[in-house]
Amino acid sequence: MDMIVPLNSLKPGEKGMVVNILGGAGARQRLVAMGLTPGATIHVIESHPFGPIILSVSGTRFAIGRRLAGKVMVRKL
Amino acid sequence: MMKVVALAGNPNVGKTTIFNELTGMRQHVGNWPGVTVEKKEGILEYKGEKFLVVDLPGTYSLTAHSVDELVARDFLLKGSADVVVDVVDATALMRNLFLTMEIFEMGLKNTVIALNKIDLAEKRGIEIDARKMEAVLGVPVIPLNAKEGIGIKELKKKIYEVAHRKTRVEPIIPRYDPAIEREIEHISTVLKHTELAEKYSLRWLAIKLLMRDEEVIKLVLRYLGSEKLNEIMGHIGEVEERYKRAMDLMIASQKYEFVDSLMHRFMRYRFEQGETFSDQLDRILTHPVYGLLALFAVFYLMFKFIFAFGMPLQGMLDDAFSSFGQWLAPQIASETLRGLLVDGVIAGVGAVLSFFPLVFLLFLVMAFLEDVGYMARAAVVMERMMRKFGLPGKSLIPLVLAFGCNVPAVMGTRTLDEEKDRIVTMLINPLIPCSARLSVISFLAGAFFKENQALVAVSIYAVAILLALLMAWVFSRFLVGGETSPFIIELPEYLVPSWKTVIIHSWERSKEFVKKAGTIILAGSIAIWYLSNYPSVIGSGRSYAERIGMFFEPYVRLMGLDWKAAVSLLFGIIAKENVISTYGVLYGSREAIINAMVPLQAYVLGLVTTLYIPCIATIGAIKAEAGWKWAMFTVVYMIGLASVVGIITYHAALALGF
Repeated sequence: MDMIVPLNSLKPGEKGMVVNILGGAGARQRLVAMGLTPGATIHVIESHPFGPIILSVSGTRFAIGRRLAGKVMVRKL
Repeated sequence: MMKVVALAGNPNVGKTTIFNELTGMRQHVGNWPGVTVEKKEGILEYKGEKFLVVDLPGTYSLTAHSVDELVARDFLLKGSADVVVDVVDATALMRNLFLTMEIFEMGLKNTVIALNKIDLAEKRGIEIDARKMEAVLGVPVIPLNAKEGIGIKELKKKIYEVAHRKTRVEPIIPRYDPAIEREIEHISTVLKHTELAEKYSLRWLAIKLLMRDEEVIKLVLRYLGSEKLNEIMGHIGEVEERYKRAMDLMIASQKYEFVDSLMHRFMRYRFEQGETFSDQLDRILTHPVYGLLALFAVFYLMFKFIFAFGMPLQGMLDDAFSSFGQWLAPQIASETLRGLLVDGVIAGVGAVLSFFPLVFLLFLVMAFLEDVGYMARAAVVMERMMRKFGLPGKSLIPLVLAFGCNVPAVMGTRTLDEEKDRIVTMLINPLIPCSARLSVISFLAGAFFKENQALVAVSIYAVAILLALLMAWVFSRFLVGGETSPFIIELPEYLVPSWKTVIIHSWERSKEFVKKAGTIILAGSIAIWYLSNYPSVIGSGRSYAERIGMFFEPYVRLMGLDWKAAVSLLFGIIAKENVISTYGVLYGSREAIINAMVPLQAYVLGLVTTLYIPCIATIGAIKAEAGWKWAMFTVVYMIGLASVVGIITYHAALALGF
């Protein structure tokens, strides 16, 4: 099943593979440098309404703002 | 000339610990020229030779998007380093090697990889063969556990060897898709005939042009002219159109793929680690409700600790300086010299140094919380709230510091990523009542409002905090330009901190505070002494201080205050606690103050003291961090704000019949 959704729609425990990052170069390059790049697998650990999402990318934990997470398009795994 | 060793690497990889291990206490903290990025330098001695070790800002990549990255990149690009030590976190190899590849791509052939946290990696089931890694990457790899000092000796030896070209360094260069390689090839050919070819790696320039790096575009424009540059950029656009992807994204993901393909050759997972203790702790500490409670608890304990140990020390130092002054006074014959030394210099130096314990403890606790990994969690919890007022969650830390002292708080804004956030946080910082203002507020509340003492004090705090948030909203919306920082922060695994790192860090920071704030407080203290002793001593009604007060009287009368308040507020600029002590001098005793004012006046005075102007040390700190323009702006807007609030409060209260 090919479902491409923004990262901020994943629930805790769900996984997704990054397919694209939208938005301006500034935000994009910051995400990329931290390992959120097309092909990377993201594991959502915590997600509460309104607040940042906590996720794991190749063993490292990140907190990422909901708006920024909306720019990361992932394929639900 | 000393050979230069540069430390590069991601944040949270233990770079500072390695820096301390290499240099010991022989280090110097300053700023990189022209920017407010901290520059740390130290001396490493090995086999009788001295090396200058420069700690570059910790960055995840080397784009032109933040000051930190530009500083690090320019340093490496200029070839300023004889040896580059790339500190790599063994528990997050993929992300760390991304930066390594960026360094390699620059064409540097003097890199050593310090593979830190090998002990942790092992615990997590990550097995790395350092010898194979060395062979694959083409550069020396030294495994370390820097906190325990393991591997430091080997690292020093390798630095020495690379500095003297005794070790071959042939870094592997990332390769991309044929389509991208073709573009790189094409651009390199165009650039080959310019002077750029002598100074830079053409491949690096080409890749950065493909990524539309602003700084590199500017650079190439100078050598190539706009016509040829436009041709190149137009071509890049066509390629992006064909692939429907931004070029920088393609390059980055292929760089990761390249790293991934290398990694398989020297590392493997012995077992997959599930949920860690850190994850479980984060479930509580980043939770919207429990996390907030935990945050309050942590900050409460922090202040409890700082005041419990700092206040007595401050008192002791204060006493020591005043006894020294009393002892010295009779030994000086000249009255002018005596006044200048005892009331000006010694009082001033005493004021500075008595602040030292508080500032040191403040930095100590902050460095501890940072090193443990808690600060990142605090930022996550606050992000939810602060963002509404145009501030990032991380700005909470400098704002909380401000309750202790605004000076380290202003310096603490350095931890914020975006210039805009730094400026806004700095501008509203002095509105947060520091401990000096607490002493004024509590004196006035205690003397004039016996029954509602706490309520009065809390109301002044509440007004100040609300105004700070309001001003943050106004400034971030209408005044300070720049991008709002996208929120992304690494949550490093909770760790027992390295005490050496924590203590050296807070010591350096507080030393810097004394140096920076010191001169300005000293000058202010001498000015007070002069204004209150010439042409006649204060209390006589003829001193300069009193004349200035009388000059301002018509203005402060709008808030129901008199010239004595004006003098006190003037001296409060030196240090806020002076407001009360000056009143004391003018009236002769504290009892006289109580008889001279009605509660409403005292309330307005407390409010105005809290809001009216940053103390001189804070102004100095803002100037040092953001320049005179912002420092002066802070002074002006705060005077304006305090006047408006003072006048409205006074007249509103009168109208209500208080």
